[in-house]
Amino acid sequence: MNVLFLVTDAYGGYGGIALFNRELCAALRDARITVIPRIVRGSVPDPPPHVTFIAEAANGPAAYLRAISNARRAKWDLIICGHINLLPVATFWRPLLVVHGIEAWKKRKIPIAQCRGIVSVSALTRDRMCGWSRYAGPAYVLPNAVHLEQYGIREQRADLIARYRLEGKRVLLTVGRLDSAERSKGFDEVIDVLRDLPEDVVYMIAGGGDDASRLQARARELGVASRVIFTGLFGEEDKADLYNLADVYVMPSRGEGFGFVFLEAMACGVPAIASKLDGGREALLNGKLGALVDPTNRAEIRAAILETLERRALAPSSRRIPEGLEHFSFENFAARAQAIIARAAV
Amino acid sequence: MFAYRSGAIDRAELEAITARMIPRGPDAGGTWLSDDQRIGLGSRRLAIIDLSAEGTQPMWDVQRELVIVFNGEIYNHAELRASLTRGGAQFHSRTDTEVLLGLYRRDGARMTELLRGMFAFAIFDTRMRRMFVARDPYGIKPLYLADDGATIRIASEVKALTAGGRVSNAIDPAGAAGFFLTGSVPEPFTIRRHVRAIEPGTSFFIDEERGINEQRRYFSIAEVFRDAKDDALVDPAVFVRERLEESVTHHLVADVPVGVFLSAGIDSSAIARIAARKTLLHTFTLSFTEFSEAPLAERFARELGMSQITRVVGRDEFLGDLPRIFERMDQPTIDGVNTWFISKAAHEAGIKLALSGLGGDELLGGYPSFRNVPRMVRFPRLARVVGALRRHPKARLIREYGGTYAGAYLLQRGLFLPDELPDILGADVAREGMERLQPLENFERAIEPDPGTPFGRVAALESSLYMRNQLLRDADWASMAHSVEVRTPLVDVYLLRQLAPMLAQQGDKSALAADLPDYLRDRKKTGFFVPMKEWGNLPPDGTSTRMRSWARRVWESFA
Repeated sequence: MNVLFLVTDAYGGYGGIALFNRELCAALRDARITVIPRIVRGSVPDPPPHVTFIAEAANGPAAYLRAISNARRAKWDLIICGHINLLPVATFWRPLLVVHGIEAWKKRKIPIAQCRGIVSVSALTRDRMCGWSRYAGPAYVLPNAVHLEQYGIREQRADLIARYRLEGKRVLLTVGRLDSAERSKGFDEVIDVLRDLPEDVVYMIAGGGDDASRLQARARELGVASRVIFTGLFGEEDKADLYNLADVYVMPSRGEGFGFVFLEAMACGVPAIASKLDGGREALLNGKLGALVDPTNRAEIRAAILETLERRALAPSSRRIPEGLEHFSFENFAARAQAIIARAAV
Repeated sequence: MFAYRSGAIDRAELEAITARMIPRGPDAGGTWLSDDQRIGLGSRRLAIIDLSAEGTQPMWDVQRELVIVFNGEIYNHAELRASLTRGGAQFHSRTDTEVLLGLYRRDGARMTELLRGMFAFAIFDTRMRRMFVARDPYGIKPLYLADDGATIRIASEVKALTAGGRVSNAIDPAGAAGFFLTGSVPEPFTIRRHVRAIEPGTSFFIDEERGINEQRRYFSIAEVFRDAKDDALVDPAVFVRERLEESVTHHLVADVPVGVFLSAGIDSSAIARIAARKTLLHTFTLSFTEFSEAPLAERFARELGMSQITRVVGRDEFLGDLPRIFERMDQPTIDGVNTWFISKAAHEAGIKLALSGLGGDELLGGYPSFRNVPRMVRFPRLARVVGALRRHPKARLIREYGGTYAGAYLLQRGLFLPDELPDILGADVAREGMERLQPLENFERAIEPDPGTPFGRVAALESSLYMRNQLLRDADWASMAHSVEVRTPLVDVYLLRQLAPMLAQQGDKSALAADLPDYLRDRKKTGFFVPMKEWGNLPPDGTSTRMRSWARRVWESFA
């Protein structure tokens, strides 16, 4: 099967959407996939043999249009449009559209009706998009995958404990971009409830972004500045070790399409607290894998944190990867992706 | 009841207070007195969750250290129970009542912030010999208090407190003035001088040393608007429907069949549409010989596959019920008769739980006040000129009241005007009433702290005044009189907090209407009224409306 896959970025790209695109390519191992990216940031690793990656399409608008017009002359069994923003160039083919999160939560003038189907990382994003667009065609849910073998419960690294002064502390962790325009990760909410948590509880915010100084000021105002730790940007190689420092992963967010970070945290044996108002709910299998809170209610966030900490205190050796997390294993992802493609290509 | 200074509780009084509330809870009841007779609790039960005898109140926890009487429903009780169970708590019933005991044991006074629902309860903690009392954030459930300096009495009805014989029946001029100004008695006043309403969104303790202490405000509508970050990640209409759907789902938690009070309006129709997909619904619509929305509601109910009952009410039935209406009406109010008959219909059909669209206009800005009040505040002179041209009787007072939100709101919602009170109540009562009531300051409290936007201010005023004092009170007494519990999915603090960021600037009811058929969506807004004028033989009253005459009739039954 010949598949054309239009993406924002994939190989040589950062972030959740690039990762999802690479995973989708890897999952469709029986197809021949041609990938046309808009952006290539870093060095491009060799894609798998069944994938042709047209990296030169990212060399500006002219190069991109050239790649698209070349693609138009070829014959495809299926076209996948990897981002709603690319739909205008892809409509011609009646593509299968992939939607991720907030980009699909708001009304926009885009020819959704022309799609042969929708693939969404969560039921929530699907429902929200179908809500404003009144799209009534086939819609599939394909949640992100986590490679469990890349994580796992590890010895806590002494250098990190020293660097972040975590000795004798209980650690809440959120991983995410500190984006001043969005402010939807729930950092503010956790800083607010820190006041009402025991003194030995600290909050580690892991990620880069332009909102750190505002959050620092808020923590100072509330008298908890010494208990909020900003790691700044961190290397991919330290990620699993960073998760392993945490006692609780908490992210009372409002803007996650799915919430891949929850899978990473749980894959490190860290109990997770997610939001009822965004895709985090589905990452926790509607509460089966961890606690859900309403991010607009500080009291709920606080109670969930206390309860999770208490359970850990009762059984310190109880760090474990929750039963059911294999729902999001790469093998299950691949099986779902293949089933969707088989139905959509018909 | 808590004889906190000295003495003992009179069991007969406790039983008389409890007995007054039998229609509220015909299924079971009980009283409990402490060994030293200082503390007494009484309850009547309308069984909705866990119908077994384990749900009877006063209810003890498994340790037999905490005892509770509770009126209301906790919609997230299953979730809270799961959390408590994970922490090792044990329960003997499946009720939400017992969850409150577990939460109190774990979180103390902070427990109220975790509750999604309507509630008024008192927990006596035998370990510390103190009572914890709380009322829900919106004031959906009533709760009244009388403190004579020796004994504190608390109940769900003003008439229950006075039924015990120890609380005086003396009229509160502030309550009387408030009734004629607004059509209902503004909290914290009641129609009885020695009874006051416990403020919604607050809790406190009572003990023998200090009486009432550790008062705590845990929720404020104005604060929600003040703190709302202006953002909208999701298409507003989609988000409103999604959140409403979640709220309705929560409000369906029950072990008995569910009804919906269905007018042909947008709010009740939107709720019915959502609920019909989750459960078998019984819908009830009123129809009057003089006026009827029933054909539209019937058509809608048919399309959704709901079991629909249209209850026709005529003048004779109205006049026949009037004595009982006045008997069950807890405080004077110009409304509630519609809820009386629709609840009567539900009761006749064996339904004891019904959803109502109450609150949609307050939440999403469906009233003219959302336009008029900010306008009157910004352009009081213009409003005066327009009012004068239209010969509006209120125009002459715009100079005095038009410049502030509280004042403009009084004009907008006013039934009688302050300078009309002496004619109705007599000069002395009117003067004392106005002095005690201080209507503008009373209204001001609803918008402190400043909600920050015109929409937020009017929403806080409407929700804290008209909705709380009038709509919710009437929904409560008139339904409970028929042993029917009314639930209001649009009056929900979770929903408010979730929607506030997008509502802060402007509300929009079209989100609710989007999924409704054209014949409901495109109708003009009509009131849900009873043809009182035609039925009541009400005298013509100069420039006044039929409601003003009705108010005088109601007043006669209390004065």
